[in-house]
Amino acid sequence: MSTALELRHVSKSFGRFHAVQDLSLSVPAGSVYGFLGPNGAGKTTTLRMILGMLSPDSGELSVLGSPSAMSVRNRVGYLPEEKGLYSKMTAASVIAYFATLKGLSSTRANQRARELLGRYGLGAFADKKVETLSKGMGQKVQVLASIAHDPELVLLDEPFSGLDPVNQEVLEDILVDLKARGCTILFSTHVMSHAERLCDRLIILGGGRGLFEGTVSEARSLLPIRITLETAEASPTLEILPGVHSMEAQSSNRWRLELEPGASASAVLEACFERSLRLRCFDVQDPDLHEVFVHLVGPSAREAALR
Amino acid sequence: MRNALLIAVREFLDNVQTRGFWFGILLVPLLWLMASQVPLILARKGTPTRHLALIDATAGERLFDVVLNQLKTAESRRELFHFREWVAPRLKSGQALPAVDKQPQAWSKLQEDLGPLMKVDAGRFAPPAPLNRLVALPSELEWRGNLSEFEGRLRDWMREERLFKPVGVDEEVPLFAVAILQDGPSSNAPPILRFWSANQADTQLQDRIVDALSRNFRSREYSRLGMDPSTIAQVEGSQAQLMSFNPRKAEGEEQVGMADLLRQWAPSAFVYLLWIAVFSISQMLLNSLIEERSNRILEVLLSSVTPLELMTGKLVGVAAVGAVMTLGWIGSLVLMTFWTLHTAGAAAMAADSIANRLPLELATLLLDSWLLPAFVLYFLLGYLFYAAVILALGSTCNNLKEAQNFTGVIALLMMVPLVSIAFIPKDPNGPVATVLSWIPPYTPFVMMNRVAANPPLREVIGTLVLLLLSDVAVLWGCARIFKTAVLRTGQPASLVQLARWVLGRD
Repeated sequence: MSTALELRHVSKSFGRFHAVQDLSLSVPAGSVYGFLGPNGAGKTTTLRMILGMLSPDSGELSVLGSPSAMSVRNRVGYLPEEKGLYSKMTAASVIAYFATLKGLSSTRANQRARELLGRYGLGAFADKKVETLSKGMGQKVQVLASIAHDPELVLLDEPFSGLDPVNQEVLEDILVDLKARGCTILFSTHVMSHAERLCDRLIILGGGRGLFEGTVSEARSLLPIRITLETAEASPTLEILPGVHSMEAQSSNRWRLELEPGASASAVLEACFERSLRLRCFDVQDPDLHEVFVHLVGPSAREAALR
Repeated sequence: MRNALLIAVREFLDNVQTRGFWFGILLVPLLWLMASQVPLILARKGTPTRHLALIDATAGERLFDVVLNQLKTAESRRELFHFREWVAPRLKSGQALPAVDKQPQAWSKLQEDLGPLMKVDAGRFAPPAPLNRLVALPSELEWRGNLSEFEGRLRDWMREERLFKPVGVDEEVPLFAVAILQDGPSSNAPPILRFWSANQADTQLQDRIVDALSRNFRSREYSRLGMDPSTIAQVEGSQAQLMSFNPRKAEGEEQVGMADLLRQWAPSAFVYLLWIAVFSISQMLLNSLIEERSNRILEVLLSSVTPLELMTGKLVGVAAVGAVMTLGWIGSLVLMTFWTLHTAGAAAMAADSIANRLPLELATLLLDSWLLPAFVLYFLLGYLFYAAVILALGSTCNNLKEAQNFTGVIALLMMVPLVSIAFIPKDPNGPVATVLSWIPPYTPFVMMNRVAANPPLREVIGTLVLLLLSDVAVLWGCARIFKTAVLRTGQPASLVQLARWVLGRD
């Protein structure tokens, strides 16, 4: 699979503040890539460097095969974190305007604007001024404005923030449609469930550094599997179960086990049967992305928040 | 370049599609129209008739008739003025209105004389209501020969702002004034006018009466001293003739006329226009930039265009807005001029009155002089200078409040050319005008104001080159600030920081 976007050892400082340090990532073409990190982790700075609005102090970038996003800007779409549109323009004209800036002809841009608004439930509002739209509608209009020119790579900074659950689903539909068309999507988010559902790969940033890069399941595997185990008889011998890293007794017949990295829950279950343990409960809890995120960035994020 | 153009078009449409913009365009000609027409309309019908009572309390010569005659003469002149206004467009083509006589002629007589020269359907002239009407006092204010007693009653009556129905008037009216003529303290002293009126702002009526009394007294005194009053009046009426010549005009045409005065002062009007245009569209530019910055639209724009394209687009778009605005103003001025020409009629133009000649002189001046080209040139160069500075400073501010701290300083600096408008035409090539011309932010305004005075060519070219170079330098520096500051958040930049950005050290 070819690479749509690649960063190699990229750093950026503002005065004494190191916003991004030695960051490397690779986004396969056609994939959905999650950009996770707490506030101040360097997400927006990285996005601005990818877009060519900021120059990195060191390191290299490759955007759709070009060292600078400005030379391929018509193939890239961008939605910034803080959303805003021209309040006096109509929904259709504002989408068409941004599409013309990305190289579409005026006629084609207008067609695309109306087509997209119709497809995502805003057809009736095409000729309404942006100032009359609800916040959610305005945000959807802005998302549509960032993809109206059929970009190959879309960078979305916190696209879900401020949207109600229904509109979040609509936005997920938009992303799924884009992916189906072969578009590469990079989006930053604080909502881990979106990343789990949508991302093929993701990166977790903390303090301007890449703390993890890989698939969602690879991220989950960073934390041990936990098992809640309950037996019919009190105080059986559990120490010899395979792959158990630690064990916490919650009562005389109930335990919480934490497995060693790479150990499997099924091996533990098999061992229980071999020892003829009469199980009343065997509940396996895979770590979710939220836990992985907190585990990786928690200490530094908490420190930053208190500073 | 395509993107810069797209931004310019959006910027232009965004501004011209607002009601405020067209209101601003209409406001200036509307103010002009009001300034030129309102006094005329007021003169025609505006002021209602004022009712005046006159008491002659003098013992000797009867002064009542003196004042009465003066008021009648003034009224005749006023009727004649209105008659001439009425008759001008009703004359047959090619016919001219005769010059105004020193001794006013009754309009009815003039209408008879002009009969054959007038169009068939001209109709009859209806004179306006009199400005002042002399009436008898109401019965309760009857004059009983005692001044202090009378004035006591009069004061109370006038304080109550009572209405009364004078003889010959169909409605109840207030008493505008009561004029009491009194002998002077000695037999050789001029008479005294005791003028009672609640309106002390309009002194025209009392001045007119005082003038009549003074002239009458002087005439009587001349007679008493054995001098012929009519000879003296004739001598006093004579005045030295002024013929003003300008050595810079072509040989044989050196005499200064109204066109020359117009040529001298018209640039000032253009400087006002220039100032209003530059100031208001710089403000538009700032508002638009701050909107994009506070809404974070800039970030989306800068993912599609370079900062230079963005800045160029905004500058060009708003310049086009300014061009439409000033074209609207100048166009409406020209249209109003030709409208006045049309409504006054060709016949009236032949008459030798300033009011009638003004539109033609103005039209000639606009079409035959350097005013319009100079205006366009200095508008563009002045706008570029201020707009670039506004864009650079605006790009460092997060909201309009922060930006106003900067624009306040710029507005103060821009007050200098505004103040200079009044004195530069009096000494257009003097030291102050010359020095101000060489200060680039002031060059457009000051040179525009000097354009009619034929400033030395080396100054015209020198200041223009300096202004051009300054524009280039300011645009270059401001583009660097804009590029660095436009995505920055936090506190507005300090002057040191701005300097560092210009020098590329940050």
